[in-house]
Amino acid sequence: MDLRPVSSARRFSSTRAGAADHLAALLAALLLGACTQQPASPPAEQSAAPPSVRYDSHLAADEQLPPGANPLNPKAGDPATVKAGETLFGTMNCDGCHGGAGSGWVGPSLADGRWRYGGSDAAVFASIYYGRPKGMPAFGGKLGIDGVWTLVSYVKSLPVPADIATESWESAH
Amino acid sequence: MPGADYGATRFSALSQINAQNARRLRPLWSFSTGVLGGHEGQPLVVNDTMYVVTPWPNVLYAFDLTQEGYPLRWKYRPAVSPNALGAACCDSVNRGAFFADGRILYNLLDGHTVAVDAASGRQLWSTQVADMQAGETTPMAPLVAKDRVIVGASGGEFGIYGWLKALDLKTGAIVWTAHNLGPDADMLIRPGTFRPPYDQGTDLGVHTWARESWRTGGAPVWGSITYDPELDLIYYGTGNAGPYNAEQRAGDNKWTSSVLARRPEDGALVWAYQFTPHDSWDYDATGTMILADLVIGGKPVKALVHFDKNGFAYTLDRASGRVLVAAPFASLNWAKSVDLATGRPVVDPSKQTGASKGNVKDICPSLEGGVSPSSPGAYSPRTHLFYTSVNNLCMDSVVTQAAYIKGTPYMSSTNPYSAGPGGNRGGFIAWDATTGRKAWEDKESYPTWSGTLVTAGDVVFYGTLDGWFKAVDARSGKLLSKFKVGSGVVGNPMSFRGPDGRQYVAIYAGIGGDWALLTGDFISADPADVRAPAPYMKDIARRTSQGGIVWIFGL
Repeated sequence: MDLRPVSSARRFSSTRAGAADHLAALLAALLLGACTQQPASPPAEQSAAPPSVRYDSHLAADEQLPPGANPLNPKAGDPATVKAGETLFGTMNCDGCHGGAGSGWVGPSLADGRWRYGGSDAAVFASIYYGRPKGMPAFGGKLGIDGVWTLVSYVKSLPVPADIATESWESAH
Repeated sequence: MPGADYGATRFSALSQINAQNARRLRPLWSFSTGVLGGHEGQPLVVNDTMYVVTPWPNVLYAFDLTQEGYPLRWKYRPAVSPNALGAACCDSVNRGAFFADGRILYNLLDGHTVAVDAASGRQLWSTQVADMQAGETTPMAPLVAKDRVIVGASGGEFGIYGWLKALDLKTGAIVWTAHNLGPDADMLIRPGTFRPPYDQGTDLGVHTWARESWRTGGAPVWGSITYDPELDLIYYGTGNAGPYNAEQRAGDNKWTSSVLARRPEDGALVWAYQFTPHDSWDYDATGTMILADLVIGGKPVKALVHFDKNGFAYTLDRASGRVLVAAPFASLNWAKSVDLATGRPVVDPSKQTGASKGNVKDICPSLEGGVSPSSPGAYSPRTHLFYTSVNNLCMDSVVTQAAYIKGTPYMSSTNPYSAGPGGNRGGFIAWDATTGRKAWEDKESYPTWSGTLVTAGDVVFYGTLDGWFKAVDARSGKLLSKFKVGSGVVGNPMSFRGPDGRQYVAIYAGIGGDWALLTGDFISADPADVRAPAPYMKDIARRTSQGGIVWIFGL
């Protein structure tokens, strides 16, 4: 089995050189069923599964984080992508659970700067791509990698109020 | 049974607690369910045991009422999928259990119906009835008629192909499935047995939908079911049509927002009546069809009384489905009246919503309804009055084109609410269903989301969203007693005689449910979900937060 990075892994930055890249490539290869010694041609980027995400926000036994990647959003901060993501947020029915502009409905708010499963671009990508167990559907199969990054760009662009922690019903002092 | 009797009158014949002594009511016992979702539904008391079903994860508790402190006899913790939390549109609620043949029957939110031995707590059978991948979940309370366990599924916001199913009480096997829309064959409409009072023709569940839109048209079943053993008919309401953009489904969209009468034995449809044709306001008709024998114009009538989300209260002949009385019980402006000759509402076209209409302002009621279908009313054969919570909310509505993606919401609308005329957001009313008039009304600051209990002591019980449990005089509405129960009330009070012969009243505290989704600042348990207060209810989180508690009151 070839453990060298396949081309689709190159778009992800590795936080642990070597091991992470290799694991990423292995995962991608397994998910693609590409178990040949040398793939005849690199798989198309849209069809490649992303690597496992390294959750820096998790506690780790003996402070040793398991290997994993922190893929970077190739479209981060691009205004046209944010706009396209806003449209996708509606057409993919994200607003049906997370509310208009991600304000929260049966699904949690996405506009409070708080995250159940991590707020890094990579963690938000993983949540949308693979889904989450409390009913968040996996959209990776429907949207592909580029579509999910487009949504990540929009979600991460939502403005967060300055003081989210305090809600007061007293008149201002 | 969940509604106290087959007609769901929620009338208790107990009379020890009455209008004279109710001021002495006090809390005697409470129990934290350990669950935070909206506590709709009600306890069941059978053979000195009180059964409580929690919201997801749908724990079933059995309390021994013969011992001090009511310790548990057992509890049953089913394996229920957490995915249900996202597949359910509107919180993790459960609307209660049914007791029959020595077993407790109820639905798990993830699409299973279970039968549990009432004595031992052991599971007898579990049947998957609904498909979460298609957006179906199951918060409703089953009804057992003869040896059939009748269940339905939610998913009006997910474009489901709505249905009702009957399971064999002994084995849990599915005996029949009847769709609420679609071809006659799917709807179990058989030649000669279907006699709708106002409609004729075949395959109305197809022909009243543009193109193939019935396939994702909704018509969920998430309220309760009632049964008339003499006529041998079960009655249930169907929910909204999907998607909210009615322009994607031109036509009446039968039989969404309707009442359907079926035979329990084989599911055959006997009659159907549509309250809100071509619904464009989310006016589900899933509220209870209360069965009562009334006298109208000097004639005895086997009546069905229904407080609809659309703001009209209907009195129907439950043998034929014909409308006898239809009058507004809540603030209402989407229609002017109901034409009794045709059964159709006289709609104000300026209140019709749709993707081409832009922002349609000031529609009453809001899509929470003149009353929530999860807040069942009650009927007293002593006062001849019906009692129900009401909402006084209006809305603006912006609807957009929706794309159907299986397993995701199929809605696409924005609906900011505001208080209706008068400024109070809710209330509680007594209603004369023979004339279509209010007998009295108690105004409430917040939308009122609890069910109702009325007793032979002429006391009516209900709870408020800010957590007051109230007893009022059934004849005047005068407040007799109130107590702050720790969380907002969205459950239904019930009364029982204890092993000591005394009368007790039980109620859940535990705010949640549909309305709560738009008012998420009362959630404290999730540090990763912090929301601004809803503009129409900036102050509710000041007065309550989540938490399920079972309360018992007595003298």
